[in-house]
Amino acid sequence: MKEARAAFLIPALLPIALGFVTTNVQAADANMVTVVMSEEPEGLDGCNSNRSTVGRVTKQNIVETLTEIDPKDGSITPRLATSWSKVDDKTWRFKLREGVKFHDGASFNAANAVLAIARTMDTTSGGTKSRGTGGLDCETRTKSFGDLSIVGKAIDEYTLEISANKPVPILPTRMGVVSLSSPNTPTDKLVLSPVGTGPYKFKSWKSGQEIVLERFDGYWGKKPVVAKARYVWRSESAVRAAMVKVGEADIAPNIAVQDATEASMDFSYPNSETTRLRIDMSQPPLDDKRVRMALSYAIDREAIRGSVLSKDVLHATQIVVPSINGHNPALKVVPYDLAKAQQLLAAAKADGVAVDKQLEIVGRINIYPNATETMEVMMSMLQSAGFKVKLRMLEVGEWLDILTKPYAENRGPVLLQAQHDNNNGDAVFSVFNKYACGGAQSTVCNKQLDAQIAKASTLSGAERRSAWQEVLRIINEDIAADVWMYHMVGYSRVGNRINFTPSISTNSELHLEDITFK
Amino acid sequence: MLSYLSRRIALSAVALIGLVVAVFFLARLTGDPTNLFLPIDASLETRKEFAQKHGFDRPVSEQFSRFVQQVATGDLGYSMRKQRPALELVRDAYPTTLKLAGVTLTLAIVLAVIVGAVAAYRPGGLFDRIGSVSSLAAASAPDFWVAISAILLFSVTLGWFPTSGLGDFPYWVMPVIVLMLRPFGLLVQVVRASMLDALASAYVKTARAKGVRERRVVFVHALRNACLSVVTVAGDLAVGLINGAVIVETVFGWPGIGKLMIDAVIQRDFPTVQAAVLVTATAIFILNIVIDLLYVTLDPRVRHQ
Repeated sequence: MKEARAAFLIPALLPIALGFVTTNVQAADANMVTVVMSEEPEGLDGCNSNRSTVGRVTKQNIVETLTEIDPKDGSITPRLATSWSKVDDKTWRFKLREGVKFHDGASFNAANAVLAIARTMDTTSGGTKSRGTGGLDCETRTKSFGDLSIVGKAIDEYTLEISANKPVPILPTRMGVVSLSSPNTPTDKLVLSPVGTGPYKFKSWKSGQEIVLERFDGYWGKKPVVAKARYVWRSESAVRAAMVKVGEADIAPNIAVQDATEASMDFSYPNSETTRLRIDMSQPPLDDKRVRMALSYAIDREAIRGSVLSKDVLHATQIVVPSINGHNPALKVVPYDLAKAQQLLAAAKADGVAVDKQLEIVGRINIYPNATETMEVMMSMLQSAGFKVKLRMLEVGEWLDILTKPYAENRGPVLLQAQHDNNNGDAVFSVFNKYACGGAQSTVCNKQLDAQIAKASTLSGAERRSAWQEVLRIINEDIAADVWMYHMVGYSRVGNRINFTPSISTNSELHLEDITFK
Repeated sequence: MLSYLSRRIALSAVALIGLVVAVFFLARLTGDPTNLFLPIDASLETRKEFAQKHGFDRPVSEQFSRFVQQVATGDLGYSMRKQRPALELVRDAYPTTLKLAGVTLTLAIVLAVIVGAVAAYRPGGLFDRIGSVSSLAAASAPDFWVAISAILLFSVTLGWFPTSGLGDFPYWVMPVIVLMLRPFGLLVQVVRASMLDALASAYVKTARAKGVRERRVVFVHALRNACLSVVTVAGDLAVGLINGAVIVETVFGWPGIGKLMIDAVIQRDFPTVQAAVLVTATAIFILNIVIDLLYVTLDPRVRHQ
């Protein structure tokens, strides 16, 4: 009898095990949209809304900026500021929108804008939870401001003056990345439940599962159609695409090209990313311009486009996409010319350049869809031209160690697979870091180029555009610092229930107010 | 029994301390996490300031000393990546993994015991052949491929189950089945082999000679002895599941410990890695002790030793 009971013990466990199953399925809501992203945001603090996973939830939804960058042409339009004017090289004055409230009831005015800017730029307060003594490490500051520091001053209730520690000709553009949080937001730690002035307020975050936003009835602008938004995340592109297809989600802002198979649902859009092989010019034989040009001539870009990568990518000739101020349309794509590449290599070899030295392509796994396959194809093309080259694909951490200074002394000649995103309206956000002697990721050090970069940074208007175009010409034609690849495209899947057209800003923001129901 | 348990717990504690120390130093060998925490375009000055502020520029021995002091006060660190205490992240993720592992393993054991026992009863018969082939296929199928294929077939094409996510019963069907395939396949093979041995043994022949009913011979006399090897293999499989079913958690969007650990390792989120390893290792040590106790219950020979 005892044995018989034991024999039936295991089947008896079955219902107990199934009893663990919980119920928390979301009720369908006709006015709610569900967005499926590739990963869970790491936080939701407004001052980190430059990070794409955070920005897609918060930027211009929960928290807003003084100005807004038009993704189509990089022009600046009003948001929380209605107008602005330059006081002197280091100072600008902004007229603020009146009648705006934060979600917690605080008024939006110059004094509160000063506090929000101070919080974003803070390097001194130190958070109790960050175990340090130097600010919140806001991504807005660390990514877009570098050593530029700004401070606000309330001239009257709705006039805000912002001063910088050095000339800042494009401050209105830069303010397009500074999200303003409520004055009641803690200054000593990042928050997981942001409070801003946007058309949506934060409702809940179930860790690992979902974030929910609700429409803010006290919003100053036009009332959006979508009443509630739910954000979920799935790592696999195929799953995100499937969720939209079966109606479990309405938008997947980012799916892989191989999953974009539904013509009625899938949109491609230029995603402001530019891909290249960064040439380490300090290492022979890559210090010889003929060798660098030979690398570019050896790549058949047309063969990669439409096969390994999407057919919609555009050939790149510079680090910024065409909508960015400073893009130089006169630069030409280096054509595929194997004979020319071999001829340049032979000439370099005749002058004693060590062209037989082994080159290393260092790639990053999944930096973009089919990243490894792309590098394999390019390695093969370079080998066909006579280069001795091998490929090493790394995880992001190891790759970042190679991307960023200080560089290892014994690194050898490296071609680094890289991708750069700039949808902030101006070439300044790209060029210094990548090409100036003091740039954190620069392998170039050219005094003439540095002087040109410094000059362009201080100019404004048409002069500024021309100066940046000259900078990009020097980098491409005089120095040949990169093997250019493509301005990339992203793919979004949009469900049949809603109207929404992805654009270049979908890479980092997703404005719920732009969505309507069919 | 009490002294046996005390000895096991003491050994486990020593191993646990060794593991945590090893994880601390191995994690730091992967490099300075500054580059991963800061935006890719952060300046050199910002990077230097950040590393200094968080102590990443300090010698590893100094970082270890600070870590030991924190652990001594029950503080396993704060995840700068997730902006929450590391232990809180692990605490949130673990129930998901334990539920998934519990349901999966229970089903796998129940089904494998039934299928394996029936297959062994008539070796070479139709059921045995079908069972052997299907269990081998289940044990060999790659999780990732099965998971994506299941979503495309059962969610997109047939619309029977939701694609992914946490929820009520329909949300559990595909993750549990996908995760169960490999343990089920392995256990069927083990049960079948053990049952074949048991059914050929002298005590089974004696029981039959004494006229004991066949069902009792198979499910009580033979199966109980065959269960010893099932417990051994199921224990190993449970350890794997408690470590996190990374692929299933990733594909089906289940926020479990496996996904948390993998993300933390890739992002060099040291406090989360350390907290996750510490909690997982503790769970595995407890599981091993439970398996030992099960042996004692199932096998009188162990008890008498």
